[in-house]
Amino acid sequence: MVTDSPDKKSGRWTVIKRVAAAVVGLGVLGGGGFLAYAWYPSIAPITPPQPSSFSPDKIRRGALVAAAGYCSECHTRQDLGGGPDLAGDYKMETPFGDLFSSNITPDPETGIGTWSEEAFRRAMWKGVDREGTQLYPAFPFDHFTQMTAEDISDLYAFIMTRPAVHLKPRDNTIPFPINIRLIGQGAWKLLYFTPGRYKPNPQKDAEWNRGAYLAEGASHCSSCHTPRDFMGAEKQSAKYDGAVIDGWIAPPLNAHNPTPTAWTEDELFAYLRNGVAPLHGPAGGPMSPVPHTFLSQLPASDVHAIAHYFADLDHAAERQSGDAAAVTTAMQRSGTDLVGPTVDPDAKLYQGACGACHYNSGKGPVLGRPELALNNALWLDEPNNLFMVMLHGLTAEEGQSHVAMPSFYTALDDHDMARIAAYLRRTRTNRPAWKDLEKKAAEARATLKTPPVNASR
Amino acid sequence: MARIEQIAARQDGRAGLSRRGFLLTAAGAGFMFGFARKADASQVYPSSLPGGGMFEPNIWCAIGPDGTVNVNVIRAEMGQHVGTALARIIADEMEADWDKVKITQVDTDPKWGLMVTGGSWSVWMTWDVFRQAGAAARTVMIEEGAKLLGTTPAACSAHNGVVTANGKSISYGDIVARSKPTRSYTPEEMAKLPLKPVSERRLIGKPVAALDIPSKTTGAAIYGIDAKLEGMVYGRPKMPPTRYGSKVVSVDDTDAKKVPGYLRYVVLEDPSETVPGWVVVLAKTYPAAIRATDALKVNWTAGKTHSVSEAQILDRGRELIAKKEGGTYVFDDKGTEDALHAAHNLIEREYICASVAHYQLEPLNALAQQVGDTWEIHTGNQWQSLFLPVIAKALQVPDSKVIMRTYLLGGGFGRRLNGDYAIPAALVSKAIGGKPVKLILTRSDDMMFDSIRSPSVQKVQVGLNADDKIVAMRHDAAAGWPTEVMAAPFMSKGADGKPYDQFAIAGADHWYDTGPTQIRAISNDLAKETFRPGWLRSVSSGWTPWALESALDEVAHAIKQDPVAFRLSLLTATGRNAGQAPDSTGGAKRQAAVLQRLADKIGWGKTQLPADTALGVATTFGQERGMPTWTAAAAQVHVDRKTGVVTCQKLWLVLDAGTIIDPGGALAQTEGGALWGLSMALFEGTEIENGTIRARNLHNYTPARIGDTPEMDVEFIDSTEKPMGLGEPGVTAIAPAIGNAIHNAVGVRLRKLPIRPQDVLAALREHHTS
Amino acid sequence: MTIKFEVNGKPVEIDAPADTPLLWVLRDDLDLTGTKFGCGIGECGACTVHVGGRATRSCITPISSLEGASITTIEGLDPQGNHPVQEAWRNQQVPQCGYCQSGQIMQAVTLLNDFPNPTDADIDGVMGGSLCRCMTYIRIRKAIKEAAVNMPGGETSNGQN
Ligand code: FES
Ligand code: FES
Repeated sequence: MVTDSPDKKSGRWTVIKRVAAAVVGLGVLGGGGFLAYAWYPSIAPITPPQPSSFSPDKIRRGALVAAAGYCSECHTRQDLGGGPDLAGDYKMETPFGDLFSSNITPDPETGIGTWSEEAFRRAMWKGVDREGTQLYPAFPFDHFTQMTAEDISDLYAFIMTRPAVHLKPRDNTIPFPINIRLIGQGAWKLLYFTPGRYKPNPQKDAEWNRGAYLAEGASHCSSCHTPRDFMGAEKQSAKYDGAVIDGWIAPPLNAHNPTPTAWTEDELFAYLRNGVAPLHGPAGGPMSPVPHTFLSQLPASDVHAIAHYFADLDHAAERQSGDAAAVTTAMQRSGTDLVGPTVDPDAKLYQGACGACHYNSGKGPVLGRPELALNNALWLDEPNNLFMVMLHGLTAEEGQSHVAMPSFYTALDDHDMARIAAYLRRTRTNRPAWKDLEKKAAEARATLKTPPVNASR
Repeated sequence: MARIEQIAARQDGRAGLSRRGFLLTAAGAGFMFGFARKADASQVYPSSLPGGGMFEPNIWCAIGPDGTVNVNVIRAEMGQHVGTALARIIADEMEADWDKVKITQVDTDPKWGLMVTGGSWSVWMTWDVFRQAGAAARTVMIEEGAKLLGTTPAACSAHNGVVTANGKSISYGDIVARSKPTRSYTPEEMAKLPLKPVSERRLIGKPVAALDIPSKTTGAAIYGIDAKLEGMVYGRPKMPPTRYGSKVVSVDDTDAKKVPGYLRYVVLEDPSETVPGWVVVLAKTYPAAIRATDALKVNWTAGKTHSVSEAQILDRGRELIAKKEGGTYVFDDKGTEDALHAAHNLIEREYICASVAHYQLEPLNALAQQVGDTWEIHTGNQWQSLFLPVIAKALQVPDSKVIMRTYLLGGGFGRRLNGDYAIPAALVSKAIGGKPVKLILTRSDDMMFDSIRSPSVQKVQVGLNADDKIVAMRHDAAAGWPTEVMAAPFMSKGADGKPYDQFAIAGADHWYDTGPTQIRAISNDLAKETFRPGWLRSVSSGWTPWALESALDEVAHAIKQDPVAFRLSLLTATGRNAGQAPDSTGGAKRQAAVLQRLADKIGWGKTQLPADTALGVATTFGQERGMPTWTAAAAQVHVDRKTGVVTCQKLWLVLDAGTIIDPGGALAQTEGGALWGLSMALFEGTEIENGTIRARNLHNYTPARIGDTPEMDVEFIDSTEKPMGLGEPGVTAIAPAIGNAIHNAVGVRLRKLPIRPQDVLAALREHHTS
Repeated sequence: MTIKFEVNGKPVEIDAPADTPLLWVLRDDLDLTGTKFGCGIGECGACTVHVGGRATRSCITPISSLEGASITTIEGLDPQGNHPVQEAWRNQQVPQCGYCQSGQIMQAVTLLNDFPNPTDADIDGVMGGSLCRCMTYIRIRKAIKEAAVNMPGGETSNGQN
């Protein structure tokens, strides 16, 4: 989709931002021995390989690896009306300046056309470019290091057979001295980076291991769903506890997930495959392209494997026994203040703005009527996602396909957003009230630089 | 002469026309509704009816050679299916084939006389004229038909568009086609024609599908906001801080210029002083106009009312009521003051009604352009005769150089009696050389300066003697007066000869025998200066009964009488309450009859209801003493003592509106009116804050929605009396019925509208401690 | 931006700023004026159309979110204007001023798709977002119940009713 709204997709990049900000902030660290650790030699340039040198099968397998790793998401320009696929120049904003992703098309001058497979593999496994320069860990080599040589080889075949695009990304605006990657990035790696391939867990079945391999490797799920420390590294002690991404919450993927029904394998599969889980809601914000653009390309078995893996991590099997009761409760709550006379002004506001699309009754929610009494956004510790989706809405490409949610950016001011959030939390969940809602609504609003819709109160 | 006819005569005088000499030229352009029972019923705009060869016995109807009957309607179509009701009257009398009747909503032309749609007057005002017009057409058809059938008119009868004699017949269409009649009638001639007896009515009172409905289910119906002209640009006003007295100091459009599609702004110079201080932003699209207007920075000096609050307006009302001088007496019976003074027991209560907004669903809009030396205003409006001269004044052209083109109204409710929104459209078009400009107000623009139903303060005093008999009564009502502000020449004269706004007191001038009685209307000057008071559905009859019918209930309870029996005892139909033919034949007796019928229907005094649940009743005479629709209503409410929430479970209405023309339409109007009454009693209402209206849209204005709708039972008394209005009477009795029911349920008396849960809770607490 | 979607079965290409609400594109660019502007903030339902078969408030839905979407307006609900809901609306003589009714009808159609035999509660729950200032609510409720009887049976997305 073409867009001239510069920050439409800005949410997606915060993972990178979070890492980049901490990492560039590192400044100068370390000493002599460290230099030895951080220094890598250049690998000789090659003449770009002929596309015909790769078998069609290999290229096809590589395409799936690329989809599992969402390469084009970070390596395609989004601002300035978008850019060619994989040609880089995606802008990542940090408090220190902007970073721009690299061109990974096979263009010899501006892309990676002169990279041998060995150079490519070293980048994936070690976070070093062909010339030996340390890469910012915005590039999640801490996950890619787990990928097999075969997958990387297939991926190489796929990338090297894409159209070469001559496009030089804009220069990073990170100032000296924190732009000295040798020291900054090297130091970060020394502290946080454990290179090495994925090791199957013999206690678990093959599907579980396949899911874990994809999730931990190419798909780098924990990049978003695990909190990071002040250095921008994933906190291993809090793995999959959830984290904030450009104002959105990437929810916990472990047993800490607070939704009233468990994220079962079926729910996860529906969500990852189609972008909407009947009992949890649609994928919005930075998560939206994951199912829609990428995972939908993978064999269903791979998506099942990822779902299988996370259903185990979140203990769905033990938690799921309460689901039927939770759905019944949610169905009862769904009609609160919508049925019969309503005088509470907050309820009236909800009735006018939301009820027509979100009301449910009967045994379970209608698909296409996201049930807020079950929805992730309402049960999380903070109202971020509720506010973000109110402000942005959902496009026909996001969430449930072909269906759009309007943007309430102008329709609801901060005060009214807070009213609806407080009202829903109090009537549709049994979780403690959210605090400072009006302030948080304003913060969420501030993440959008231009109003998504031109309307007026 | 009835007041309305006086108004009409005055209007005609202004237009330089007598009501004689109707022109037989083609009717102006307008829109029309097609055949009632055909699926492709269409509404065409603009059309130029009638076509060639039509026979026009008068300006109101025409018959085509194909049998088509066109009826010209000068009343705005805003949901009351007025065209259908009016066409039924003419078609019945002329014996037309209903399936061939279509309606043309005409544009402003002086020949139509007073063009106003309000006060629930339409049917009542048109009844005689249209029956006479129909009779004229029928007479000609019979005369000409007789010739074609080779017989005498006396031997012919007309039925359903066909003239029959001795087993032979000929259709109206064929008569027109073959004998091309040209006979026309003056009003005087028409008035002498014999009318059909009631027993021969075939259309009046029978169910009918409204002609305007089909196109409203397919999206084909065209409203003012849908009007389009080649090359038009869009405008949105930037509202000044106060309704009056704001002056533009400077304008900065630096940011507005960044909006793609922005064209320019215009600071309006308005000789009519309707929209002082307004600035209009022009753009190529409406969204661009929205954003550019938001981005435009205007500095104003605000008018002096910039900090006025609702409380100040109410206090001013109290102050005015407390003064002996001022205001106008509508009833001023001798001895009232002395009797009140000497009363054994004086019951005195104050009642408040908060500001109410129209929130007609179609936001205000108008499309203006200059064609040659004439200005065309395309818009939906309820009182073209009133605002056409104002538009002319704003444009500084003679009235004859302005024409208003008529469209469907997406709700009127009185808002579009005030045509102020047409002025900025006209002025901004003038500023760009007469090019077409479509001005649309966003909802918040519309609400900020809505011509609201003024907040009001009322004081009711009832004097009782030692036997608990009423010896005197007085009712003072202070509010902003819409007619004073917008149509001062139309104000009525009081008992003391002073002008007053009948629409700011009607309803208080009741039909009860209360001994010497004084009714005083007071214009609240602070209200008038702060906002532009408006006519809102049922005008004062929507709020004076809140005081009157609550107060009488209070008196009944105070003297331990049954509220229904008590009221009936006062409805003796003597003296001024005896009624006058043809409008109020029977007088208060008919009000007593609807109340009695209601009491029987609801089993008044005989029902057993659950705890905190009760019935309450109220009765009114609908709109006006001169045009009474006798109305009685009951509400069943439940009060939640914990939350203060009042739930209205059921409403009953019994109405006597004389002859009912279109029973379905009558019921629809009454249902809608009653729900307005309910909505204003429990759900909506706003306040003046910093000189403007606090509520700006549905986030803080909350009219009733579908779930708020109670069960409803409406009954019309069978009658062959002259038809009265039904657009508004449904509203009038609901709020007091609810207030009275609350009292019966939990023993507390609410005296402020709207009734909010916190007010109920406060009253319950006070009741508990006292 | 240029955006492509389908309106009433016909492909449409629109060149307008990304933040333009669908409402104005329908009304002013495509001349589909049956869709109305009421509140402009998603609270009245007058502007309701179907996007991907679901009732959607067009006044606050930017065209940027509709790439590839399929949109139905009141004009496209049924070629002859004889959808069972429209017929029920005429049988019950629902409209007064009519201004809200395109939105009411579009909303009612999705109500009946989701809840083929709607209870009064279902009607309140779904239709509560559609304001009728003429307060035709009593007849809206009747017409929905009439249409429920006449709507062709089909599968519901939640397998209910
Ligand atoms: S105009 Fe869109 S919901 Fe009111
Ligand atoms: S019919 Fe007038 S707003 Fe619904």
